Amino acid sequence: MPNTRFNISTYYPDLIIHLVKRDFSLRYKGSTIGIFWSLLLPLSQLLVLVFLFGKVIPLKIDAYPAFVFSALLPWIWFSTCLNSSASLFLGNRDLLKKPSFPPFILIIVNTLSNLLSYLLFLPILIFILFLYSRHITPNLLFLPFLLLIQCILIVGLSMIIATMNVFYRDIQHIVGLGVVLLFYLTPVFYRAQSISESYKFVYTLNPVAVMIESYREIFFYGSPPMWSSLIIAMINSVVILIIGYFIYRRRLHHIYDLI
Amino acid sequence: MSSLLIAENISKCFTIQKNRPFTLKDTIIQLLTGRYNRANKFWALHDVSLSLEQGRVLGIIGHNGAGKSTLLRLLCGLGSPTTGRIRRIRSFGSLLELGSGFHPDMTGRENLLTGGILCGLTKRQVKAVENEIIHFAELEEFIDQPTRTYSSGMYLRLAFATAIQFNPDFLIIDEVLAVGDSRFQQKCLDRLKAFRKAGKSLIFASHDLEQVRSLCNEVIVLEEGRVVMQGEPESAISCYHDLMRQRSEKRAKQIYNEAPSNITVEQGSRLGTQEAKISDVRLYDTNNRATNSIFSGGGITIELEYSFTKSLSDMALLLGIYSETNVKCFETHVLSTNAVFGPLIEHGSLSCHLPALPLLPGIYHINVGLFPTDWNYVYDYHWQMHPLHVLSKNEAVSYFSGIVSLCPVWSVLK
Repeated sequence: MPNTRFNISTYYPDLIIHLVKRDFSLRYKGSTIGIFWSLLLPLSQLLVLVFLFGKVIPLKIDAYPAFVFSALLPWIWFSTCLNSSASLFLGNRDLLKKPSFPPFILIIVNTLSNLLSYLLFLPILIFILFLYSRHITPNLLFLPFLLLIQCILIVGLSMIIATMNVFYRDIQHIVGLGVVLLFYLTPVFYRAQSISESYKFVYTLNPVAVMIESYREIFFYGSPPMWSSLIIAMINSVVILIIGYFIYRRRLHHIYDLI
Repeated sequence: MSSLLIAENISKCFTIQKNRPFTLKDTIIQLLTGRYNRANKFWALHDVSLSLEQGRVLGIIGHNGAGKSTLLRLLCGLGSPTTGRIRRIRSFGSLLELGSGFHPDMTGRENLLTGGILCGLTKRQVKAVENEIIHFAELEEFIDQPTRTYSSGMYLRLAFATAIQFNPDFLIIDEVLAVGDSRFQQKCLDRLKAFRKAGKSLIFASHDLEQVRSLCNEVIVLEEGRVVMQGEPESAISCYHDLMRQRSEKRAKQIYNEAPSNITVEQGSRLGTQEAKISDVRLYDTNNRATNSIFSGGGITIELEYSFTKSLSDMALLLGIYSETNVKCFETHVLSTNAVFGPLIEHGSLSCHLPALPLLPGIYHINVGLFPTDWNYVYDYHWQMHPLHVLSKNEAVSYFSGIVSLCPVWSVLK
């Protein structure tokens, strides 16, 4: 019988990797089209937006599909994570009842699993960029940095949402609503430059808006991201992470009482 | 002997608020309208202290709701005590719930891997013991099917086999040993005995007193969140039986509060037309003291107070001793009371003396009944209404099981 000692440096990574793999395979298990079905979601959203703002209310942006898609993919990662984070603690009571299992692992697994989906869609984005003769520049190499900032932001927000949802069950619906509204307030399908000066500062405060713009900078425009606003976004994200972790730790033993 | 875990004066309080707002909307409404429901404090545990040394097995027994699970969760670190402290060493394993991390759409093998990794094994280590686990759970044929197709017994066997493979120095188990058929339960018990023999330590809560008797060095009895007794398994178990008896008496009094009835209904049921009634059953030991417990091998006198409402010419009487699991140990009938006692007056008492009952310690029931002589229907039958507790006389009772108390004498033949 193997003798185990809880070596955190190997236990946490092993557990995270295993759960991410499991989460991923569960998503596509039992469906014949599997992965292709999940590609349908972003592609159909793209089609609707292209139709709406390309033909019905034309925004007159060149290469509109490529323009939208480069911002849509990171948005989908963000919104999927936030929407699924609310039920992470409530829906995994059995895992929480294992004393050696720290609940925040669920948040990391959720974030990484959706990140994996994002990375899987990237080739399609590259393909669409080629279709519209956009230039692929070495500025793409900034992608890992953007991913890191977004990870920090998502994990921070997820901690708050998952923890608070245990006590207030309608957080899940509020988040759902908030994400939908945020979609319209984030320049995913329109240009941030179109906004008048008086409202511009609101956008610099919104870390999601800054990041979405940055993704578009490196993919669609092929230029480096705007560093100043990106640094602010990084600071915002880290602050949110710290707040989230603080809330999580303070409420953790109450969560155990309610589980 | 080093202490592996010390709990000092721990208490746990839960605030229970009627109609506690579970949504933000309700909370805000409550804040605005100022309408609070007073929160009630429920103390699940009061001032519990215990410590576990290396190589010892500690059992925790108590009625449902006594606080066993709450105590174990606190010992594991799931939640913190309202007062008091718990100090523990790091590497311990826990088995508080079966099937942690199991997903119904994954196959048994995949869930086994998840369970193993959750326990702290690496993937390679899990793969190395995989076959052993499958063999222990006896699931060779079904291991590659999704667990939603498993019966609850199969699921629990897999969960238990996975959890028990992990080899910590010290394990905390909560009432999960009651899974599977008796053969599987024996395997689990043997595994835990091997665990104990290897010098490891164990804390477990159980309702199965046989397990507690055979595994534990020391037993704690919890009653309403308090430690009522801590000590040797035998005495703890009889303390537990006493408490259970008091509980059912209290409950019977609550139910039968109207007319002071002569019969203390502990449990069980009574049926019959009541043309003839047994209005009281009393038990006396050999010193003529009213009791309902005797020592193994002791004698008992059963007194029945009867009455019949219309003039019956004759009746039949039934008296039996049944074990806790309703196995008939002994039964006798008097086919005609007239023939044995002569014509009986309308109210009276009969007595039956059983000189020496060779019964092993446990709980038995005295079932009595009055019937018409052709046994066509029932006048009055008391089933499981009168318990008899047989206590042991301090012998090594764990070597005996069954109902009859015999004294084997072993010798070597030349």
